[in-house]
Amino acid sequence: MLTVAISKGRLFDPSLEMFSKLGYRVHSREAESRKLVIADRRGKLRFIYVKPADVPVYVEYGVADLGVVGLDVLLEASPDVHQPLDLKFGRCRIVVAAMKGSNRSNEQDGVSTLRVATKYPHLTAEYFTRRGVPVEIIVLSGSIELAPVLGLADCIVDLVQTGLTLRQNGLRVVHVIGESTARLIVNRASYQLRRERISELLEQIESLLAREKTA
Amino acid sequence: MDALTQIPLGTQVLLGEKARLKRRVETVVTGVFEGWSYDEIIPPMFDYMDVFERGVGAELGKKVYRFLDREGNILALRPEFTSLVAKTVACRMGGSPKPIRLYYSGEVLRYEPPRGGQQREFSQIGLEHIAGSRLEADVEVLVIAIEVLTRLGLKDFQINLGHMEYFAGIVERLGFEPAVLQRLRELIDIKDKISLRAELRRLNLNDRRRDTMLALPDLTGGRTVLRSARDLASNERSVAALDHLEKITRTLSALGFARHLTLDLSEVRGLEYYTGMVFRIFVPGLGFEIGGGGRYDALFSNFGAGWHAVGFSFSLERLMQSARLKPGSQHSLRSFKLKPHNLRRQFAEILKERRSGRRVKLG
Repeated sequence: MLTVAISKGRLFDPSLEMFSKLGYRVHSREAESRKLVIADRRGKLRFIYVKPADVPVYVEYGVADLGVVGLDVLLEASPDVHQPLDLKFGRCRIVVAAMKGSNRSNEQDGVSTLRVATKYPHLTAEYFTRRGVPVEIIVLSGSIELAPVLGLADCIVDLVQTGLTLRQNGLRVVHVIGESTARLIVNRASYQLRRERISELLEQIESLLAREKTA
Repeated sequence: MDALTQIPLGTQVLLGEKARLKRRVETVVTGVFEGWSYDEIIPPMFDYMDVFERGVGAELGKKVYRFLDREGNILALRPEFTSLVAKTVACRMGGSPKPIRLYYSGEVLRYEPPRGGQQREFSQIGLEHIAGSRLEADVEVLVIAIEVLTRLGLKDFQINLGHMEYFAGIVERLGFEPAVLQRLRELIDIKDKISLRAELRRLNLNDRRRDTMLALPDLTGGRTVLRSARDLASNERSVAALDHLEKITRTLSALGFARHLTLDLSEVRGLEYYTGMVFRIFVPGLGFEIGGGGRYDALFSNFGAGWHAVGFSFSLERLMQSARLKPGSQHSLRSFKLKPHNLRRQFAEILKERRSGRRVKLG
């Protein structure tokens, strides 16, 4: 049996839906329970439900053979894993956003230090230092949009799906750093030791993605 | 900070059973090396930083603990053994009969987060085979690695065998910028075919070349992989690499080791110093590789000697986690309850037991 780490939160439902389309269904009663480890009905896959940021950890250590996680999390954590498939769902943008009318997020300034609130400290540091912008990074774990509203930060680096939360809090996108979608990741040792089972699953997912693309 | 109760991250203490296990595993492994007539080399714990940079390059260099001596030279605590072996062999063993076979076992230090049972200070155990014939030496070190794992009671290990020249041959004539090549290597390594396809589209390759590059991430599996690899590349370097792998796998399969072998031509990560055959070893239950090695024919020229060489190392801590050793033969134990009077007579009795090899425990 292969173990798959699934991100709780916004990628959770589409992840389970994808596996269910491939015939790996879990009993709905179990899916809604608070159990953290659930096998599919045919006993081929075992799903573990963990926080998104923990998915690469479980997979890197090989406790889970595979994982479904957003590219944003991978960019932040840089885990040493195979990343064979872009699953296309959970599309979001990773953006720099600031208060409407504020010019404090102007990167071109480059002299005064920018205060940036984010839950992606590595990604943020990488982005700004590469551009030669001095930053002070304020690490938060949720409600990032609040930081510029209350003057804690000049701008934020965050994941944006519809932009509604930004708009409702008077923020606008200043720059799009990149796009994030759900990725399938595989432990390096598992990929070799359980190659047949894993390649079979990868092929199933790939052909599902191809079917959905043409549909 | 309380230096008595706190510990620096990445350090550990082994006591009793754990320490005994470490020494036992070490004894088994060095016993195998000795059995193949490898001589032990015990290099210094530190050397000039330059030695390690010449040896394994700048990438590992970042993880080195370094410090200044009184004259202002930059010294480094060893992050690996191969550079130190190369320095010694190149500078002092020029006149020795070839090939030179050396093994080492000891602690190395790397400034990186502790992971997979490896602290910042961890133990490497491995060997180097220097200035021998390429094919014979490659087979020899692989057979030794297999014997090590077998003697440690490991049954289902996998050796992933690749060759740096296969990929080198493919990209040789394409004239990619180093940064582009690096990006392609990364994408092949993480097996991200979709981004690879996008990257290749930007590079305007012809169809055949693009298909070859796109096939690389999947070039892993049984011996049929060699056939697919041949269909993809007909340049001299790649073909020579495949011929070499073919000979190695044919020999190892004939020896009954086929089930431990996986061919992996998607191995392009290009640890800077590897130039020929490379391998990584995986065991069930451990998410990280337990060891690996390969051929590094160019490394010695950095030390002024033109020899080719092949070697491997295991992480001793990871071997300890996976080893299935039978309980060692326990010497029979005799306990003594010491009394304060007439110690001479009591210790005479105890020494008699020790001379006959028995374990004693004094109460």
